[in-house]
Amino acid sequence: MSLIREQYTWDLLISTGYGRQLAQKVLGGDVITEIKAYTTAAHHFHPEIDTVIDLGGQDTKALSINLSSGQLHKFEMNDKCSAGTGKFFEMMAGSLGLSLDELVTEALRGGRSVEINSTCTVFAESEVVTLLTSGVALADIARAIHEALLTKLVSLLSKVMRSDSGAILFVGGGAKNRAMVQLLAEALNRQIIVPEYPDFYGAYGAAIHAIQSIRQESI
Amino acid sequence: MTPLFNDDFQEFPLKRALAQVVGKREAGAKVIGAYCSYAPVEVVWAMGGVPAVLCAFSNAPIPKAEETLPVNLCPLIKSSFGFIELKTCPFFELTDAVVGETTCDGKKKMFELIQKHRPLYVMDLPQCPTNEGAVAYWRHSVNGFKQFLEETFATTISDAALEESIRECNRKNRLVKQIFAFGACKPAVITWQEMYAVATYAMSAQGPEAIAQLEEIIATLTARREQKLFTSKESAKRVLITGCPVGGDVLKVLKLVDEEGAAIVGLDSCTGLKPYADVTEEGSGDPLLAIAKRYLQIPCACMTPNTGRFEVLKQQVEALKPDLVIDLVLQSCHTYNVETVKVESYVREDLGTNYLKVVTDFSQQDLGQLKTRIAAALEMN
Repeated sequence: MSLIREQYTWDLLISTGYGRQLAQKVLGGDVITEIKAYTTAAHHFHPEIDTVIDLGGQDTKALSINLSSGQLHKFEMNDKCSAGTGKFFEMMAGSLGLSLDELVTEALRGGRSVEINSTCTVFAESEVVTLLTSGVALADIARAIHEALLTKLVSLLSKVMRSDSGAILFVGGGAKNRAMVQLLAEALNRQIIVPEYPDFYGAYGAAIHAIQSIRQESI
Repeated sequence: MTPLFNDDFQEFPLKRALAQVVGKREAGAKVIGAYCSYAPVEVVWAMGGVPAVLCAFSNAPIPKAEETLPVNLCPLIKSSFGFIELKTCPFFELTDAVVGETTCDGKKKMFELIQKHRPLYVMDLPQCPTNEGAVAYWRHSVNGFKQFLEETFATTISDAALEESIRECNRKNRLVKQIFAFGACKPAVITWQEMYAVATYAMSAQGPEAIAQLEEIIATLTARREQKLFTSKESAKRVLITGCPVGGDVLKVLKLVDEEGAAIVGLDSCTGLKPYADVTEEGSGDPLLAIAKRYLQIPCACMTPNTGRFEVLKQQVEALKPDLVIDLVLQSCHTYNVETVKVESYVREDLGTNYLKVVTDFSQQDLGQLKTRIAAALEMN
């Protein structure tokens, strides 16, 4: 952040995400939550979309946006532990001795032969070990890991989605997971839109919010 | 700005309550520990006793409690039990007897584990309050508690003493309610810390001294309102807290609201207005029945149906005009947790107010996430 302070200049700075307060302390400017940032970016790039899911490293959020105002209507977040977040994939890949990419590739090949019931990373790890030692195919286990998280995402989304909601915007680092995108589309029977840089979507939102603030001030 | 209490306990409402209990004990009063707003304190005061709240909100004794109790239990029960095991709860150490109620399954079974320490009476609370016979049955429980006190302390509690105690409590409750009504002022003239301090004080205070103190607080608040001495900014978002009781380490949620520059204007819980919101019928001829009727109206989520909760929410939202209602649920409190489904729909759809559900315990592990949640809910229009 000291580098940013030394090398860049700006008219307005908006920080977002878990480090927003620290960034504000070092760099000044204003803060908005990533929830507002996602809402802003989603409505800017996709004004027709009213439902957003963010699968991040330490939490997962489902947002419902009011299409006429572009404002957040309601939001839901996962419980406090890392269960149901991107961290889950990292841990599971680790217990299978795979990289994240390999886990996704395996899952896409796998079938629904087994279930993992726990999204608690600690309990799920013991389930995975049990499945491995009973000779279940690696691909099927990888698929089951994705299905376990899918259940969480669907339950979170069902709290904010409307029956007439159309396509769903999938953001956060977790949206880079092709297997997850495919499974989510199948489970919800809806088109899943993933932006080009889903892990920078919050930053886009903060920047758009800054531009909007400058415009409002100049009116 | 003039503080509401002119004493040495400015930041320590529990120490102020403790001083009340100690003072009355030194003057000869028996200390009766209570775990719930359903404990009919009128009976305690009528005996010349003093009630002391034993519900604990500190994370510190929980590891001790978890040596005995399950980990996935309500933190309030674990904390209260842990303090007793460690013998570090000053309130419990001062008690001569303890009253419990069958409000919640976890507490009910915890009482069985602590009865070796103190004379203990558990009041059986009917949980379908509108069913036939519920009030009559609860009157038996109130009477059982009265008889327990009479036997334990070799005394008698007369109807006249109960009537006098009802009048005293009513007077106090009306004043506390008046104080909480200042939450309607916009900008705010009272903070949640002050509301919490008043609710904590009033539990163990009674008589002319308490009445004078509460009247003085009303005068102070009236002066703040007239002199436009506000405790929040004009633009501050307003928040009503509802749900489980709060205190100690779970005040983290309320502090996060402060950090976002919003003003908490109401505390709708057992550590807020709830125990003082109603009065008992005076001169009914059957004070135990009058007490039973009034206590059975307390809108706790353990009741089904709990229609009173929604009436209170409507009154509170209309009077306090919050921008956001935070429904605070302690982990493993199943009744409040399930009730959030109805509360959310009522607050959003019927009252047209933004709503946020928070499930938490006494630890600090979810601070980052809670901050984001609360900030995001307050960013909404």
